Amino acid sequence: MSGEEEENAAELKIGDEFLKAKCLMNCEVSLILEHKYEQLQQSSDDAMNQVSQVFEKSLQYVKRFSRYKNPDAVRQVREILARYQLAEFELCVLGNLCPETVEEAIAMVPSIKTRGRAQDDEAIEKMLNDLSLIKKFE
Amino acid sequence: MFFHIVLERNMQLHPRYFGRNLRDNLVSKLMKDVEGTCSGRHGFVVAVTGIENIGKGIIRDGTGFVTFPVKYQCVVFRPFKGEILEAVVTMVNKMGFFAEAGPVQIFVSNHLIPDDMEFQTGDMPNYTTSDGSVKIQKDSEVRLKIIGTRVDATEIFCIGTIKDDFLGVINDPATV
Repeated sequence: MSGEEEENAAELKIGDEFLKAKCLMNCEVSLILEHKYEQLQQSSDDAMNQVSQVFEKSLQYVKRFSRYKNPDAVRQVREILARYQLAEFELCVLGNLCPETVEEAIAMVPSIKTRGRAQDDEAIEKMLNDLSLIKKFE
Repeated sequence: MFFHIVLERNMQLHPRYFGRNLRDNLVSKLMKDVEGTCSGRHGFVVAVTGIENIGKGIIRDGTGFVTFPVKYQCVVFRPFKGEILEAVVTMVNKMGFFAEAGPVQIFVSNHLIPDDMEFQTGDMPNYTTSDGSVKIQKDSEVRLKIIGTRVDATEIFCIGTIKDDFLGVINDPATV
């Protein structure tokens, strides 16, 4: 175990390194990995043999759990969520899980309430509404 | 959660690769070396996406190998305690079930499955509520919370729970 204090994503304790790092939503990872996989296919015939098991499993996973398929929608989701002063990690959890109610959103991302940013229920509800709109018009 | 981070690695390169293609050789060796690896600190390295900077090489005494410090961007998957994510069930038994979220394996013990779900044996072992409305079996998609991680040199293993609000089955392969 690392010597740092215990991690807990619910309180956004994920270590400085990851807190500052750019998080990726599943749909974004899907775009990146697909692109890389296509490149591999062009450069060699047996692309499937070239990639690691980790790559293959990740690609299958993100394809299965991507909420948004087209790149424009993915960009919009990020733009909308960015308006609400969320940490990168919170933004991506919301983008991945697409909660439907305020209660659910708070259960998924408890830190949204505790960090003293006074995110009131109304703001959260508006955010969820905006998200579901993107999904509808995708 | 997936992250896009910058990592650094000292790459040793054999003198036969020196020449016009040195950079290409270095990059392809880097990808071969790091993609698919796992460390407790950074998680699973899924894919190298770019090179930030390659430092000056240092010739090793005696061997002729040269060490280059390489900074590269990559996509990593790192599970955190307390994180909520979606996963696919891979195996069900009376102890609980295993699920996979990308490269990581997550075990959910039967103590952490809601009490109203009972284990059913058969050729498709599953956990089912008494009224039969919810069923967890192989290939079900579940939303779970990670409550513990165990890290060893080459793998990360997680313990999860579905005994909490808004957790559990998302979709049931049998009903779709």
